[in-house]
Amino acid sequence: MANTLRLYLTCIRNTLEAAMCLQNFPCQEVERHNKPEVELKTSTELLLNPVLICRNEAEKCLIETSINSLRISLKVKQADELENILTKKFLRFLSMRAEAFQVLRRKPVQGYDISFLITNYHCEEMQKHKLIDFIVQFMEDIDKEISELKLSVNTRGRLVATEFLKQFI
Amino acid sequence: MLLLFSTSDLIHCSAAPLINNFTLFCLIAFCPNNNEVHIYRLLEEKWERIHILQKHDQIVSGIDWSVRSNRIVTVSHDRNSYVWNQEAAEWVPTLVILRLNRAALCVRWSPRENKFAVGSGAKTVCICYYEQENNWWVSKLIRKRHDSSVTSVAWHPNNILLATTSTDGKCRVFSTFIKGVDTRDSGTGPGSDSKFGEQIVQLDLSFCWAFGVKWSPSGSTLAYVGHNSMIYFVDEVGPSPSAQNVAFRDLPLRDVLFVSERMVIGVGFDCNPMVFAADERGLWSFIRFLGQRKTSSSSVKYGSQFSEAFGKLYGQSKHGISNDTVEPSRPCGGIHENCINCIVPLKKTGDSRMTSFSTSGLDGKVVIWDLENQEDLLEYL
Repeated sequence: MANTLRLYLTCIRNTLEAAMCLQNFPCQEVERHNKPEVELKTSTELLLNPVLICRNEAEKCLIETSINSLRISLKVKQADELENILTKKFLRFLSMRAEAFQVLRRKPVQGYDISFLITNYHCEEMQKHKLIDFIVQFMEDIDKEISELKLSVNTRGRLVATEFLKQFI
Repeated sequence: MLLLFSTSDLIHCSAAPLINNFTLFCLIAFCPNNNEVHIYRLLEEKWERIHILQKHDQIVSGIDWSVRSNRIVTVSHDRNSYVWNQEAAEWVPTLVILRLNRAALCVRWSPRENKFAVGSGAKTVCICYYEQENNWWVSKLIRKRHDSSVTSVAWHPNNILLATTSTDGKCRVFSTFIKGVDTRDSGTGPGSDSKFGEQIVQLDLSFCWAFGVKWSPSGSTLAYVGHNSMIYFVDEVGPSPSAQNVAFRDLPLRDVLFVSERMVIGVGFDCNPMVFAADERGLWSFIRFLGQRKTSSSSVKYGSQFSEAFGKLYGQSKHGISNDTVEPSRPCGGIHENCINCIVPLKKTGDSRMTSFSTSGLDGKVVIWDLENQEDLLEYL
């Protein structure tokens, strides 16, 4: 793994560790509601300053924190059109199965490819360090996955083309 | 140090050790992160559940047990509060009309146990007292003083002053003098001749949410914590208070407890109680963590270093790849595994010094800590 990626991920991990201090907090505006404040944004005093961590222009991570929830949005590297399509399809595939992931948001925040929403309930049910590990592991794997997909698409394309062109020999 | 029991997620606890004839028995009330309150009793080294208080229909956010009058008050996100009286073997609830339209967040009995204060998400504080003629708990509201939810309340030993912390980052001190309940003779301190709901002082020290306010046993010092990993100590609460800010390098605290005039225990997201103490000149500082942290075994470190070296030696071999990933974060290694959100003193009747207290966390554990065997801390008691 490139050294810059490690620095990037370490920075994200440390930020998440500090940001993931969530607690149960009922809504101040609506009676008998308890909703993630980072999504509703009804009271500004319950939100913390968002943190943007950039590795380069194409790869960045936005961490927004509130008193009872935390939103992590990722932008994945897309070098060319093929990667662009692959990323879009792959992350859409994941987002559609958001229930299975629990912390995954169904729709990414605008300008990002995928978002996670962690609430105080997740922190109560799951161990914090495992949650952070999951996010970091996910970020590590997504690049690998996309480049593997790209490789296999290329290989397959080459194979198909060879097979197809064989009939003209 | 004694590990009690593990349930699911545990929110609040309040312990009341009582002397009963010859045996000291310990009762503990807590909410297992739902709408119930469980009461456990220590009997012959074994904890057994003796009661389940079931009346709320949303999560219980605060419990307080008055030791002398033996009453439990509970508040919940469903905007209600109940006072539980023990009649024979049963706990009988009485509804308190709080007149709130948002969730209640915290509750505390006053030192004389004739009033209790409820902090709420409606940006108000309710002071409730018992009205004999109506046979009813009546609530009086302190309105339009807070700009956000009230996260914690604390009573001054004089039974009049009430300190509150709020998510707008401020700590405020109010007078809660109620005619017919309190008498004027009770104090000469600040706010002894003020009306109900009058704000004595507003402390604007924190830039972030404030939590966990407490008065020292004599009522001369006030401590509260901010979400920006700071703890604030305020002396001479009144027109010209003097404050000390102590910053620490770990995750923020949620609650504090004065063990003595010179020692404070803070608990929070770091899963390990922190000890703060004042020196002879009255300067507060962070002393140490109370729980032992398991140090990461050195052999693991060696292994990774070795294979890293191997990895470099063989260029991009498998050794390198497997170890080049970001080091996974370790669990905190203390006795609690998740945020500690409550700390309660365990005072034996007749003992002037407080040496033990209990903490409860979101990991579903209640832990009793004893300071007797912590030699370096005894001088502060």
